[in-house]
Amino acid sequence: MASKYIALPKGVSETVFDTAISRFREILGDTAVLTNAEQLAPYIKTMMPVPDADHAPSAALLATTVEQIQKIVAICNQYKVPIWTISTGKNFGYGSAAPVERGQVVLDLKRMNRILEVDKDLAYALVEPGVTYQQLYDYIDEHQLGLWLSVPAPSAIAGPVGNTLDRGVGYTPYGEHFLFACGMEVVLANGEVLRTGMGSMPNSNTWQVFKWGYGPYLDGIFTQSNYGIVTKFGFWLMPAPPAYKPFVIQYEHEEDIVEIVETIRPLRISGVIPNAIVIAHALYEAPVKARRSDYVSGPGAIPDEAVRKISKDHKLGIWNVYAALYGTQEQIDVNWQIVTQAFKQSGKAKILTEQEMGDDPAFNYRAKLMRGDMTLTEFSLYNWRGGGGSMWFAPVSQARGSETLKQMALTKQILAKYGLDYSGEFIVGMRDMHHIVDVLYDKTDPAQTQAAYQCFDELLTVFSAQGYGTYRVNTAFMDKVAETYGPVQRKIHKTLKDALDPNGILAPGKSGIR
Amino acid sequence: MNMAKWGKNLFILISTAIFVNGHAWSAPPDTSPQGFAWKDSAEIYAKICAYCHEAQVAPPIRNRSLPPEYIRAVVRNGNRAMPAFRASVIDDESLAKLADFVSKSETGY
Repeated sequence: MASKYIALPKGVSETVFDTAISRFREILGDTAVLTNAEQLAPYIKTMMPVPDADHAPSAALLATTVEQIQKIVAICNQYKVPIWTISTGKNFGYGSAAPVERGQVVLDLKRMNRILEVDKDLAYALVEPGVTYQQLYDYIDEHQLGLWLSVPAPSAIAGPVGNTLDRGVGYTPYGEHFLFACGMEVVLANGEVLRTGMGSMPNSNTWQVFKWGYGPYLDGIFTQSNYGIVTKFGFWLMPAPPAYKPFVIQYEHEEDIVEIVETIRPLRISGVIPNAIVIAHALYEAPVKARRSDYVSGPGAIPDEAVRKISKDHKLGIWNVYAALYGTQEQIDVNWQIVTQAFKQSGKAKILTEQEMGDDPAFNYRAKLMRGDMTLTEFSLYNWRGGGGSMWFAPVSQARGSETLKQMALTKQILAKYGLDYSGEFIVGMRDMHHIVDVLYDKTDPAQTQAAYQCFDELLTVFSAQGYGTYRVNTAFMDKVAETYGPVQRKIHKTLKDALDPNGILAPGKSGIR
Repeated sequence: MNMAKWGKNLFILISTAIFVNGHAWSAPPDTSPQGFAWKDSAEIYAKICAYCHEAQVAPPIRNRSLPPEYIRAVVRNGNRAMPAFRASVIDDESLAKLADFVSKSETGY
């Protein structure tokens, strides 16, 4: 007999699942427990090169309170039903809203979306998981709080809780988001509610201002993990500076990445350039201005000659360094002199500001991101190949010119083997660079989809063999990446999992942890 | 409204007022039991759809007489690179109004 569910959790019979679902309905009401195919359709679509059915949930639960979540985990423990928690569910290129394993129940916290506090003087926020950056942006604007957000590229529709818990990044001086997290409330698998750091102490008013509390620091184990369900999240906001000066520095050759990184590193470590700068390849920026089909047709990666033509036609560098200065005008004037002196030395750099760039669409969206404004223009990347296929390949590199060139060349070579383009950038760090490459492919083309899967697998294999680890990965490759970090770390992760979630009900498989 | 509910609401109002007056340096916390809710279709369009469909990232969708049922289906299922939007993000009632809003050619934005 056909099941009434589109999928079932691993090891759970339909009869047992019926009982669990009816218990969920008692807690949440019928309308907040979704089980039919039409209701679950938005949870299934991913951009990964695997069948969406591999990641189909069995149900979705729309919880809005901590008490509901405590009751849900009790039922999950009783019936051994695994849940996959999402907040805004916009982790595109990393798995979107779909669970890591087929049949897991999605615990959807989008409707748990209160902004609990924004403190103007101490410049912090405390929010629930469903709060979007847009919601917080509007709140700050409405109350004239004079604070800036740091947002990832999907800004408006994503949110700070999910992004930071997956250790995502933005582009302002607060761009390494987890560095600026301060205090969490976590529902544990046994139903207890933990407030981390100073939040553990009754009547404390320092939960969002002092990270460490007393004893081992716990917040880290609730990021990229499955040890608890974060229901409140504190983080710091940047006071709006009196002046802001975004700029772009263009270089004409791929080898120039060496000079760029060697020039930028001392400026970044010393704080002359304070923000999470981006060194974007021409093919990362081109989709905002150009169509791939205007330059190349047929299979295979785009030739270098075509990339150079795109750059010339659309006033892009082969590398485009986006950075900004923040502070008083006097501070900016001094730092601008230091920056321009450093970059002018070799004679290769073309330094451009708002004055020269005018309404250039690539510059404009980068300028918005570096001040935490709302824009989804980076989604133009998805038009490059079309067909809705995207995976982020995200190895970490030293902020050393020779290393970034080596990683770029290696990535490009492997992508080309599978007929895919290098749409990459280096971002964020002072001492590291997050090397971010959008592996774009046409998911409606089975051959290209298969090539993309094999390509991504090879990228991970080759990079890890050279000692390059990835900082974040989509749900189809979590086990593989966990393996690259070695058996001792995996064993520790499992020891923690067994201690905190002995029945394995919280997102088994997240980051390869079960 | 019964007296108990009325009393509770009054208490929240007074509490909020005291907080605002006593802590002018700080934005008042959101004490409402409910979280965010969309005001109207124009707001949803501006704060989700327009970032792509009015920014040359995705094709224009307004003034094309697209059938509301088609719009609803694409929003829920996605289409190629267009993400799917869950009922927890745009509830069914708001989506029905949004589909009409997008479909009608005379809507202001």
